[in-house]
Amino acid sequence: MDDKQKILTLNHITKDFPGTRALDDVTFDLYAGEVHCLVGENGAGKSTLIKILSGAENSDKGEILLFGISYPQLTTRQAFELSVATIYQEVDLVDTLTVADNIFLGGELHNRYRVIDTQQQESITAEIMKRLNIEIDPSVLVGELSPAQKQTLQIIKALHRDAKILVMDEPTSSLGLEETRALMDLVRNLASDGIGIIYISHYLQEVTEIGDRITVLKDGKTVNTYERSHFTVDLLIHDMVGRDAELFYHREPVPIGDVGLQVQDFSRDQFVKDVSFDVRKGEIFGIGGMVGSGRTELVRMIFGADKKDSGELLLYDKKITPSNPKEAIGRGICMISEDRKETGLFLIRPVTENMSIVQNEQSRMFIRLREEFKRVSDMVDKLRIHLASLDQNADSLSGGNQQKCLLGRWLLSDAEVYIFDEPTKGVDIGAREEIYGIITDLARQGKMVIMVSSDMPELISMSDRIGIMRDGEMVTIVPQEEATEQRLINEYLGFSNSGEV
Amino acid sequence: MPDATPAAGSTKKPSSLKQSLRRVVQNQWFLLLIGVLPISIVTGLGNPRFFVKENLINILEQISVLGLVAAGATILIISGNFDISVGSMIGLSASAMAILMNEGINDVVASLIGILICIVCSSLNGFMSILFRTPSFIVSLATLGVYHGLALAITGGVIQTIYGRFEWIAKTKLLGVLPLLFFISIAGYLLVHFILTYTQLGRRIFAIGANPRAAFLAGINVELNKVIFFAVNGFLVGVAAVLILSRLGAALPSTGAGLELRAIGAVVIGGVPITGGAGNVLGTFLGVLLMGVISNSLNMLRVNPYLQEMIFGLLILLALAISSIRYRWFGAK
Repeated sequence: MDDKQKILTLNHITKDFPGTRALDDVTFDLYAGEVHCLVGENGAGKSTLIKILSGAENSDKGEILLFGISYPQLTTRQAFELSVATIYQEVDLVDTLTVADNIFLGGELHNRYRVIDTQQQESITAEIMKRLNIEIDPSVLVGELSPAQKQTLQIIKALHRDAKILVMDEPTSSLGLEETRALMDLVRNLASDGIGIIYISHYLQEVTEIGDRITVLKDGKTVNTYERSHFTVDLLIHDMVGRDAELFYHREPVPIGDVGLQVQDFSRDQFVKDVSFDVRKGEIFGIGGMVGSGRTELVRMIFGADKKDSGELLLYDKKITPSNPKEAIGRGICMISEDRKETGLFLIRPVTENMSIVQNEQSRMFIRLREEFKRVSDMVDKLRIHLASLDQNADSLSGGNQQKCLLGRWLLSDAEVYIFDEPTKGVDIGAREEIYGIITDLARQGKMVIMVSSDMPELISMSDRIGIMRDGEMVTIVPQEEATEQRLINEYLGFSNSGEV
Repeated sequence: MPDATPAAGSTKKPSSLKQSLRRVVQNQWFLLLIGVLPISIVTGLGNPRFFVKENLINILEQISVLGLVAAGATILIISGNFDISVGSMIGLSASAMAILMNEGINDVVASLIGILICIVCSSLNGFMSILFRTPSFIVSLATLGVYHGLALAITGGVIQTIYGRFEWIAKTKLLGVLPLLFFISIAGYLLVHFILTYTQLGRRIFAIGANPRAAFLAGINVELNKVIFFAVNGFLVGVAAVLILSRLGAALPSTGAGLELRAIGAVVIGGVPITGGAGNVLGTFLGVLLMGVISNSLNMLRVNPYLQEMIFGLLILLALAISSIRYRWFGAK
């Protein structure tokens, strides 16, 4: 690293929020051409640090040293002009414009009639793509792109604006395996072009592969900064949680009973093709596969949230095929959806309402506020949800606590079948283990659990059996004894055990 | 949203002044109250007749009809909907009631039919908004014309006088002082408050307004409930139509015109975010009161009536400015 130039130092940054110190004397630096990863649990201060760099928040103490010049704080405009580009989890593109239009948005090229020069914009875009080895048609509408392509496009947009420092906040959280690979290759490429990259991710495997250095934050403080040769996943986990923990959760086995739920011949167009499986009482049935293989579509159909062409659902040998979520819930099926902010929580409503909504739906017209308060606060204690008050809005909670609120909502309503779609997405390690504990508890009570997950260690350690989805079909069901990451990846991608297609 | 979440028991930093200030400012009612008082005092100084009993009662009467309409609008706006056809609905319903009464139909029966007309008209707005997958704002923009045209057609555009036979509602004063109209209006607010706070329906109003997709996955029939919200709104508007007919003793197709916008204005002044999902009816009540007091004050101070319209517009802008300041300074929602 000696030959490289240090382009950024965040010096002794301190930032207070009402009630908490989000950052406590944090120092963080970045060299041109390196990938410096930032890891830590939710609430450790990663996002706050990034916001200070991008000008979205101001620090209370400390300085920002950018290309040798010191700033007490930055505005978003300054950060932009000083070539700092932040790519947030939320995709920040206009769906109804073309790829090229998006890249030139705000700095459009004009021809001599003062009309936007679409051709030139597209040819320049194509050049950038070619240089980076990306294949996206510049004239296509952004709304037609996959999430991975949108992510890539955001990076290209930043590069087009001469970004020297690229901040990526959980760039792969909505990407599949292959797409993640491609994105990581792109990141390496950019670094070798001399761009400094700050890379934030929950996926430790990914971070250890891509990082030149890794800094661990915990409770607003820097725990350690490791050089490439020094870090391991175990070491990072140890620093993050402050104790030894393993990527693989050891779940205690529970007795498995008779078949309770039968899923028969579920189909819709090309998304889900003729899927059948059954779940026993006390069993956790995992569903794995690449993003887009039909996993989410399948469970949404089982829950009655989406239309289907065919399919019957039997609970204890009785046909109960629900045609909407209301019916499904009435028959003892519940689903904790994948995107808690979009389809789970009522973010601007208090925790109480969020947690009791389903139970209120099952009761009478009138709500007894005192009873409701008691039930919800008992559940909050039981699940160890950290909050200041039950009147707090859901959007003021951390990801893990939000997820626990959602779990609490369904635990209060007491169902027979629990469907989880990505139960620990965006949840930090501590809360993750607690959620695993809750799911295991459900199995112990003889409930039937269906769990969709992209997190392979999670799928392997939690599931009794794993149904593999590929191109809308459930191609095989892997029992726990045979479940290894290698085996699953082969099934996901359609390689047979011998490695041939 | 700050990355760091204040966990229970981790509050170490003293920030009590800012926090208590925040709590006060977060309550829109507080601001509204400190709006109403100085205006009253200034007007009272300018024209001592302001504080005369008759005038104060007059204010309460004047805001009764708007209050009922605004109470209904509160439900709709919290649930993420708008009905801007309520003014036309009132014209239609009041005209129909007047015609029925003149045909010799019993006052009570005619009133119930009038209320029913509003329930049907409003529910229809909700229903079509679902059927056509269109925002209710646009649907009610269309039905605004339809209902008004219908009123013109049944009246032939002629004023329908009922010769004072229905004025007991407007004339009755409880305890010899307080107008019955005002109590009916208060009952409307209380009904909405009760629905919002203590019923399943109220939770659905907030849930659907805050996140309709999540509400659907939580087992709520979003579409059916939307129609119910509109029906409740229609009921309150119908009662308002009865009151207005009793007060005026006559109906025109244009009776009630413009009430929809003033009602939405009052709700916004009362602090319900225009994007829905939050709010309460106390704010609406104070919003209506503030509008009533200002309207009366302007009359008392003999302000040019043309300017009055403008002042109401500015008032709504002020309310929006205050919410935006609260959001920026305190992160309050």
